[in-house]
Amino acid sequence: MLTVTGVSRSFGGVYAVRDVSLTIADGEVCGIIGPNGAGKSTLFNLITGHLAADHGQISFLGQRVDRLAPHRRARLGMSIVFQAARVFRGMTVRENVMVGLHGRTRAGFVSAALRLPRHRRDEREIAAEADTALERVGLAEWADRPADRLPIGQQRALQLARALCARPRLLLLDEPASGLRGQERERLAALVEELRAGGLTILLIEHDVAFVTRLADRVVVLDLGQVIADGPPAEVRADPLVLAAYLGQAT
Amino acid sequence: MIRLVAGLLVAAVTLALPAVLDDSALAVYILLGLAAMVTVGVSLLMGYAGQVSLGQGAFYAIGAYTAALLALGGVPPVAGLVAAPVVAAASALVIGVPLLRLRGHHLAFATLAMQLILLSLAGQLEFTGGDIGLQAIPQFSVGSFEAGSASAYAYLTWAGVALVMLVTHNVIASRPGRALRALATSETAAASSGIPVGRYKLVVFALSAAFAGLAGGIYCFYTGYVAPGSFPVLISIQYIVMAVVGGLGTIWGAVVGATAITLLVQGLNSLAALPGMPSYAPSVLSYAVYALVLIGVVLFLPHGLLPAVAGRLSRKRESLRAR
Repeated sequence: MLTVTGVSRSFGGVYAVRDVSLTIADGEVCGIIGPNGAGKSTLFNLITGHLAADHGQISFLGQRVDRLAPHRRARLGMSIVFQAARVFRGMTVRENVMVGLHGRTRAGFVSAALRLPRHRRDEREIAAEADTALERVGLAEWADRPADRLPIGQQRALQLARALCARPRLLLLDEPASGLRGQERERLAALVEELRAGGLTILLIEHDVAFVTRLADRVVVLDLGQVIADGPPAEVRADPLVLAAYLGQAT
Repeated sequence: MIRLVAGLLVAAVTLALPAVLDDSALAVYILLGLAAMVTVGVSLLMGYAGQVSLGQGAFYAIGAYTAALLALGGVPPVAGLVAAPVVAAASALVIGVPLLRLRGHHLAFATLAMQLILLSLAGQLEFTGGDIGLQAIPQFSVGSFEAGSASAYAYLTWAGVALVMLVTHNVIASRPGRALRALATSETAAASSGIPVGRYKLVVFALSAAFAGLAGGIYCFYTGYVAPGSFPVLISIQYIVMAVVGGLGTIWGAVVGATAITLLVQGLNSLAALPGMPSYAPSVLSYAVYALVLIGVVLFLPHGLLPAVAGRLSRKRESLRAR
């Protein structure tokens, strides 16, 4: 599904990500963990295209994507749920989710301005599909509310609905559990488990080790921009290098 | 229901006004309509898509010069009026490629510079008539019907306003409109939803330029004369003040803002023309008023006039219902 080969990126001479290689198989839930400043976010941005790599290659579905703009990677099937609240202001919850269908629909400025029949039909289908996604994440009753007034947990659920509307091949979640309280976190984990059961490939970048080990089939540990461990959660948790670099910090 | 009645009422008044106004009042009415047309574009660009332009006057000028040059060259005025928004939009596409890489203040200054460059070019070049400009532009005509009277231009202008509002309304509530509103919040998140951010910014820039170009085309036929002096930087600032005062990101707000500012400036102009006022009074007064109105609105009605009034009305209605 996704292959990252020897990717590096430095800022002002300091490597944020150094010679990182990893692969994600079809249908796998892969977690990337690491202490603060380990390069998780940089790696995430390199994969999604919001940062350009200095070296290395990234392939997605058998195609080189490291020179493609973010929106092109999105259209190939990468969908993102951001950590920071990235709901679109001045739009309702439903409209926010409808944006997720952008890559799968065609109506442009001309057919919109002229209200062509094709455009009307498109709009009805987009709205219906958005409502289905909202139902799925439990936000159906909020559909007509302004999106930016939702509490943080629901904003993340909204982003998830938006991402799912794009029918992704790979779902990228950037610190999905951060800022969520017990119950919200539990609901999110249940949603991710449901998606995994549906066969969706998921890349989970997360600070919260317990959250990742519960959901991931495989865990990649980053420290100081490099991969220090890669394997099943139980194995990685027992790895002395990981304990020293990451888990050891907590004690 | 209330919206429909209000809309019909506004339409009826708009259609009835040319019949009752005298020529000098009609001149104000036409210029107000032209300003509203440009301001709807500014509101689309700034309010919905989150991009700034301090140079909408440049596209107004491009539209006016395009229609004027074509008409003087013997092309039927209708073709000239169609060409005005097309050429303005095409210029925006070309200028926008480098310009829209900038954001915020940088974009604002770059668009301002664009207008200054364009004005000085128009003042130097032979074919635009230099500082004197282009004169004796024929009247607007469709086939054998010639728009000889001010009221004909008033109808033409307000038909243009209606067209621009309709196009904006349809675009906003659609797939491309949602994409524009999305990229105004976060270009990163918009791109990750598959929106080609750069292309959409370019298209909305061109669309707002087309609105300004259409207004410029009508303007040149109405006045029969265009010169660099007709398009000072102040008018670009005026459009922004109108959009902000009326309420950014509302289509009707642009018209409300254009009306409020035009009437205010008219009132001040007659004040400045009173005997005993110095000759620089009109320009000083209008600059001062733009500044004061803008500051006042931003401080006290941050969402603009129309949303503030609409919000108050709906709250009143709700409290009545609660009783």
